[in-house]
Amino acid sequence: MFLIQCPWCGERAETEFSYGGEAGIVRPLEPDALSDAEWADYLFNRTNLRGAYKELWNHAQGCRRWFGVERDTVTYKIEGSYELPSGRAGKGA
Amino acid sequence: MTESTVQVCVLDDVGHINLRGDRHSVDFITAVESVIGQSLPVAANTMSEKEHRVFWIGPDEWLITTVADNTLGLLADLDKKLASHHAAVNDVSGGNIELRLSGKNVRDVLAKGCTLDFHEIVFGPGTCAQSGLAKAAVLFGFVEAPHTFDIIVRRSFSDYLLRWLANAGCEYGIEFR
Repeated sequence: MFLIQCPWCGERAETEFSYGGEAGIVRPLEPDALSDAEWADYLFNRTNLRGAYKELWNHAQGCRRWFGVERDTVTYKIEGSYELPSGRAGKGA
Repeated sequence: MTESTVQVCVLDDVGHINLRGDRHSVDFITAVESVIGQSLPVAANTMSEKEHRVFWIGPDEWLITTVADNTLGLLADLDKKLASHHAAVNDVSGGNIELRLSGKNVRDVLAKGCTLDFHEIVFGPGTCAQSGLAKAAVLFGFVEAPHTFDIIVRRSFSDYLLRWLANAGCEYGIEFR
């Protein structure tokens, strides 16, 4: 079980959270201009890194906010969590 | 028969108002406080208690509980005062149920279904927290020393949660009033 630091509520058990996948994926501004391959890449392809990975979590049973977490996918060690920049979700995260 | 050391009652004379707004805006906080007549808790996991009880439930979100008959009046006052602010006020009384637990083994019962630390030095006056209790999402509020708590839960989960409490509190002779 992970102990995850919610930027607002503090350290809580993993069961309170839901996982949101890789952070920093920005929806293309003009989807119509994209080829099918580019759209599929945006929808489905993730970096799936080995090592430090930035991902989104939602504090579902707490303050219900999304935030970013940096987690090592090999050791599962959580390096820290941070508030997402305001504006488009996950931008620059 | 064992002596009952946990008592539960459903508070039916209470209204719930959900408030959202910008915690960084001094104008917003002043406007709210002038209506509710008490402080708006901006620190996480804290609550204020005076005429109403105000719970912090998110960085830009609060839950105000008050006597049922006052709810619509308070709602209208907040609505009017916050008309020029980027804020939202909603009556959520219909969606929630509030349970009051008292007795010396309340903390032990809660600890069976929740990962939070309910020790007296951690969870005392002025503290509230949202978490999962037996998988149901709930808001815990400390009511009074030594061991009286409120649990605010979605109405649709209340039947499940009361059944869970009956089971978890069995060894303490849990009593429903």
